[in-house]
Amino acid sequence: MKFLIQFVATLFSAHLLALFMPWYSIAIAAFVMGFLLKSNTDFLAGFAAIATLWLFNALLIDAGSSSDLSERVAKLLTVKYETVLFLVMAVVGGLVGGFAALTGSLLRR
Amino acid sequence: MRVFKFIISLCRTLALIYFLDHRWVIKGNPIPPLGKFMDPFNGFWRNIEPSNAKGPESLTFPHLKENVTVAFDSLLVPHIFANNDLDLYFAQGYITAKYRLWQMEFQTHAAAGRVSEITGAGPNDAILNYDRGQRRLGMVQAAKHSITALSENQESLIMVEKYTEGINAYIQSLTYKTLPFEYKLLDYTPEPWTTLKTALLLKYMAQTLNIGDKDMEMTNALRLFGPEMVDLLYPDREDVGSPIVDNSGGWKFKINIPDSIPLAVPQELIAVKRLSDHDPNIGSNNWAVNGSKTASGSPILCGDPHLNLNLPSLWYAIHLNAPGVNTMGVSLPGSPSIVIGCNDSIAWSLTNAQRDVVDWYKITYQGDSRTKYLLDGQWVDTQKVVEIFNVRDRGSFADTVLYTYWGPVTYDKNYMPDNNHSEYAFRWMSHDPSSEATAFYKINRALTYKDFSDALDHFATPAQNFVYASTSGDIAMRIQGKFPIRRPLEGKFVIDGTRKANGWNAFIPNEQNIQEKNPARGFVSSANQYPVDATYPYYITATSFEAYRNRRINNRLADMNQITPRDMMTLQNDNFNMKAEESLPFLLQQLDSTTLTPEEKRAYQALKEWNYVNDKDSEGASYFEAWGENLGPMLWDEMENTKVTLRRPTAFTTIKLLKEQPTLSFFDFQGTQEKETAREVIRKAFALSVEDIEEWSADHGGASAYWGDYKDSYMQHLARIEPLGIHVRAGGTVNAINAHSKLKGPSWRMVVSLEKTGVKMWGVYPGGQSGNPGSEHYANMMDSWVNGEYFQIQFFHYPEDALKYTFFTTQLNKQN
Repeated sequence: MKFLIQFVATLFSAHLLALFMPWYSIAIAAFVMGFLLKSNTDFLAGFAAIATLWLFNALLIDAGSSSDLSERVAKLLTVKYETVLFLVMAVVGGLVGGFAALTGSLLRR
Repeated sequence: MRVFKFIISLCRTLALIYFLDHRWVIKGNPIPPLGKFMDPFNGFWRNIEPSNAKGPESLTFPHLKENVTVAFDSLLVPHIFANNDLDLYFAQGYITAKYRLWQMEFQTHAAAGRVSEITGAGPNDAILNYDRGQRRLGMVQAAKHSITALSENQESLIMVEKYTEGINAYIQSLTYKTLPFEYKLLDYTPEPWTTLKTALLLKYMAQTLNIGDKDMEMTNALRLFGPEMVDLLYPDREDVGSPIVDNSGGWKFKINIPDSIPLAVPQELIAVKRLSDHDPNIGSNNWAVNGSKTASGSPILCGDPHLNLNLPSLWYAIHLNAPGVNTMGVSLPGSPSIVIGCNDSIAWSLTNAQRDVVDWYKITYQGDSRTKYLLDGQWVDTQKVVEIFNVRDRGSFADTVLYTYWGPVTYDKNYMPDNNHSEYAFRWMSHDPSSEATAFYKINRALTYKDFSDALDHFATPAQNFVYASTSGDIAMRIQGKFPIRRPLEGKFVIDGTRKANGWNAFIPNEQNIQEKNPARGFVSSANQYPVDATYPYYITATSFEAYRNRRINNRLADMNQITPRDMMTLQNDNFNMKAEESLPFLLQQLDSTTLTPEEKRAYQALKEWNYVNDKDSEGASYFEAWGENLGPMLWDEMENTKVTLRRPTAFTTIKLLKEQPTLSFFDFQGTQEKETAREVIRKAFALSVEDIEEWSADHGGASAYWGDYKDSYMQHLARIEPLGIHVRAGGTVNAINAHSKLKGPSWRMVVSLEKTGVKMWGVYPGGQSGNPGSEHYANMMDSWVNGEYFQIQFFHYPEDALKYTFFTTQLNKQN
């Protein structure tokens, strides 16, 4: 339950901050929620929240467009397939979210 | 302990963020800042536009005097309706930047030798060396000179300034989220636009078109082969026929040609890796037929400039309307007004004039310090200019370039260690002040041939063949540029730079430039061929003139009657290869069909049956082109395997010599005991070309080498980012009217019918109106272009008429 609350809170606060702050605002959201809502699975909650947030938004943009830019970017970043690009993106966001959440929880301890 | 753990965790998180927020170069490959770049709220995902994306309904600007309406049609062509010139060009700048900013800025960086600021020095410093070359050719000085000339015409100066303001208004509105894709990928931001950048862009076009020369190559050839051989291999005028203007005996002016000048044939052979060669794949077609030859009774004008087929596309289609001007056509992103197009009364298009406007002057220094050089008996100071390059990931690099009375000393001991450091100063017509922006400002407003002609008087460089047609029924061709009056052979070889008298002391007056209006044959045309009949009194030389396309056009136009716009579209897409028609039967005769291998027999048969049309499904075309690719370097191997700067004769001269002088000493292979003639070389080249095709086929799973596949045409991304380019399967070849080679070709095909009831335009270009690779308009015209299909380009006079075609409208409002 605690995990779920932290997950949802991180996801929404990160979304809110992202609307007017640079990309690393995800770390601020995960950090604050890690501090406030500390669970036993802080890293996982932060990771999952940001990975989900990014994945969902990227998929939404991709689905609404006939452009093949995401495929081209996959080739550019030498990950070859669009699916891999989505995964890499989720991991990049997730790692930042996870470590930030962990840091927040460690401050509270 | 807890604090310790917290600090470790904090450091780890911050380090990760730092890593993902910065660009890294790993083993020479730049990686964009991954976190920033992949963030779906601000990163590259935001450059993926939704289907049917529309622009904002209204925007407000303090710069505007009155409101401006911009209606976009389904091709995303903006129709700009303003109430005055100032607002019109502000809007053109803003709208062009909105769709093409990255390209505009990148091209001006390329012109100014600043690409390494964005990309780093590149593998083996290739990009830094490119940048150094640009500075050493004097590109920035040339652009500065044209600003001086621009300032003399108030109207066009204001036009460029308002356009600049418009671009800057767009740049100021940007955030990381709205930044064009390439800025995010390469991780940098745009700098403010300036009038100098517009000037640089025009010099960049000039460089593509008129910086070619063969002076060093001809000088070496003169020393190595002698004057008779130079005349034979590199005639100033090839015996092609079909000049742009044939007015034999009609040139009624008297001219004063100065005495011939001494050639400075140097003691040493020049060995430099040239920066400024003219690419024979760059060229263009244009023509106009008068009403007597058309179905409608009105003139039709056509144009297709053959340039680098890059993405984002070179051209941006736009409609400009304000009191006193209503013009439609294509513009160069970064420069105001329309370059090729029409207005309510006239239409025009350009092809390159090819003429030689480059010379190299041998410098005689006093001693080794190169601080003084000889000029008219005096030792004159050289001017040292230190060029600074802020190379990304490396820091600044300084290069000292010497300037002389003639221009910069491009090649010297500081640049390219393989060169033999011959000291020549570079003189280029485009170094001189001139204001082409003024010419286009006036052309856009011209109503009669007189207006058009007056506008052209402002056009100096790069010299162009301007075709013209009007709703009043006139057609005309004028070759316009600033041309030095050359003494015989001047410009063909390097020149002694110790006397000012050896320079360009007089220029052909505009009224004596080659031109014709309403000729009896009922059409005018140009395709980069030799410009004029033999009675034109001025000496003409060039790197090369086109020999085939132009004759095909003239033959076809002479035959055609009751011409419709559709017929003209077919002609622009004509893939007939006259070079093949004139050479292939002869080449095949040289083979001995009894000794061929099975593969060679198959090739022989395909070539025998071929109809000389380079269609995408033709196999014969592939065999023919592969044969030519092998034949040239083998015939002229003396010029290939040497460090000395030389060039091969043209295809036209080569074929002529093969037929008429098969035992020419050049045709003998170097380094073999036997004495080969043309026949042996042709056979050997044939065998090698069949091997090439077999190898290609093996690499492609045994597929047949159809021309469209074998040619593998490719629209490169401007920054050479491979995944952003597009391969197309298309016909055409450099010698056909559809001069589509691997990387270059018709960059805009336009047909204009000049009907009294209203001018109609059809057009297409390989790409799309948006420069954003995440837009569905990035390359939406590509398939139509490949298939020879056109779009009707909507052109009208009143903003109300736009309603019929409008996809969306953006209102640019003045601030109250």
